[in-house]
Amino acid sequence: MTRFLLGLLLVTLLQTTVAHRLGVAGIRPDLYLLFLFFLAFRARPEAATGMGFLLGLYQDAFSGAPFGLHAFVLSAAGFVLSWAAEGVEATRLLPRLVLLAGSGVAVGALGHLLLHFFRLGPPASALLTVVLPTALYTTLVGAAILGAHELRDRLEVRL
Amino acid sequence: MLLRVFLRYRRTVILSVTLLVSFLFMTLQVRQEGPLVDLVERGLVLTATPFLKLYAAVTGTASRLWGSYVDLRRVRAENLRLQEEVAALRGEVRRLAEAGLENARLRRLLDLPATREFDLVTAQVIAKDTTNWFKTIMINKGSEAGVQRSLPVIAGEGLVGRVVEVMPWTAKVQLLTDPVSSVGALLQEQRVTGLVTGARGQTATVKYLPLMAEVRVGDVVLTSGMGGVFPKGILIGTVTATHRKSGALFQEAAIQPSVDFGRLEEVLVITGERGVGPMGAPDGPPGGDR
Repeated sequence: MTRFLLGLLLVTLLQTTVAHRLGVAGIRPDLYLLFLFFLAFRARPEAATGMGFLLGLYQDAFSGAPFGLHAFVLSAAGFVLSWAAEGVEATRLLPRLVLLAGSGVAVGALGHLLLHFFRLGPPASALLTVVLPTALYTTLVGAAILGAHELRDRLEVRL
Repeated sequence: MLLRVFLRYRRTVILSVTLLVSFLFMTLQVRQEGPLVDLVERGLVLTATPFLKLYAAVTGTASRLWGSYVDLRRVRAENLRLQEEVAALRGEVRRLAEAGLENARLRRLLDLPATREFDLVTAQVIAKDTTNWFKTIMINKGSEAGVQRSLPVIAGEGLVGRVVEVMPWTAKVQLLTDPVSSVGALLQEQRVTGLVTGARGQTATVKYLPLMAEVRVGDVVLTSGMGGVFPKGILIGTVTATHRKSGALFQEAAIQPSVDFGRLEEVLVITGERGVGPMGAPDGPPGGDR
C-alpha cells in the first residue's frame, strides 16, 4: 500500500511537471494509465479497481476535467486490465503492448463519451486527434519501459 | 450473511461502488452542487501540493543557477549590443516624453482616467493539466493571497487565462487555449470584436468576426473588456490564418497566443484595478467572457 501511495505521488509529480516536456503537438503520454497497467498485472481485479479509482481522483484533481471523470474511467480500466492480465503471459511483450494500446483507446473513448454526456464534449474528431495519439504515445512509453526491463533481465541472466 | 454475500460478489460490488461514486462526483460538480466534491478535491490537492512546491522550488533554483552561469558567458557581447541600444533608446525616450506630455494634455482635455494600474499577485506555476482534453495550470497562490474565482491571469507577454478554482494555498487557472475557455477579443487595427476560444495544441481561434472585416495575418488581438472578466487592452496574440466558410454569417481567425504556455513559470493574477476596484465576477459562468 505504501509503495502504491508513493507511486501515486510520483506519477502525479511526473504527469503535472515533466509530461508536458515530452508533449508532441500537445499530446502527452498518460502516465496514470501506464502505472495502472503495470499494477493490474500484480493485483486482483477488486484491488486494481480501487487503485484505478484513487489514481483517477488524483488525475481529476489536477486537471480541468469534471471531478470523477478519470476515477470512473480508470476504475473500469483497472478491473478490465487485471481481469484480462490473467489471460496474458506476463513475460510476452507483444500481447501486453496490444493490451496497453487497447486500454488506452478504450479509456480515451469512454472519457470522450462521458464528456459528451455532461455536454463538455470535444468534437468527434478528437477521437482521432486526441484519443488515438495519446494511446499510441502511452503505448510507446510503455514499450520503452518494458523493453528496458527485458534488456536488464537478459543482461542479468548472461552475467 | 451480508458479509458472505459481499465476499462472494466483492469484485462486482467494488466496481459498482467506485463507478457510482465517480459518476455522483461528476454530476455534483457539473451541477455545481458539490461542497463534498470540493472538499475531497481540495484534500487530494493538499496532499500533493507540498511535493509540487518543493519540485518547483528545486527546479527553479537549478534553472536560475544555470541561467546565471550562461548569462555570465553572454554578458560581454550583450553589453556592447546594449550600449548601442541605449544610445538609440535615449532618442526614443525624448520622443516618447514629448508624446506622453501631449497625451496627458489630451487626457485632461477629454477628461479620461489616468493610465490603468493593476493590483497584482505574483504566483508560480507548480503543475500543469494531467490530461490532453483540458488546458489548466495550478499556481502556488490561493485565497490566502487574495486570489478569487474568475480573476484574470496575465504574464509579461500577455493574457494567460482566468482562475476557475481557488483553494487556500493554490488555485487552478484555465488557459485561454482550453477548449471550454472563451475571452472577448478585439482586433487592434480593425476595431472589430470576436470571441477567442481554445483550439487544438497551443493555439486559439477568434470566432464571430464580422464578414466585412479585413482580417489579415499578423493582426494583433487584444481583450475587448466585454463580459467584465478581463480588462480591456491585454494582448492575447496575433492572427496566423483566416477562415471564411461559404454561407457562414461570421469569419474565424486562428491566432498564436503571445504567451508560450509550454514555458510558463510565473504569472500575475489581477486582483484589482486601481481607481476602479476589485476585479472579476466571482459568480460568473466558468467559460469566461461570453
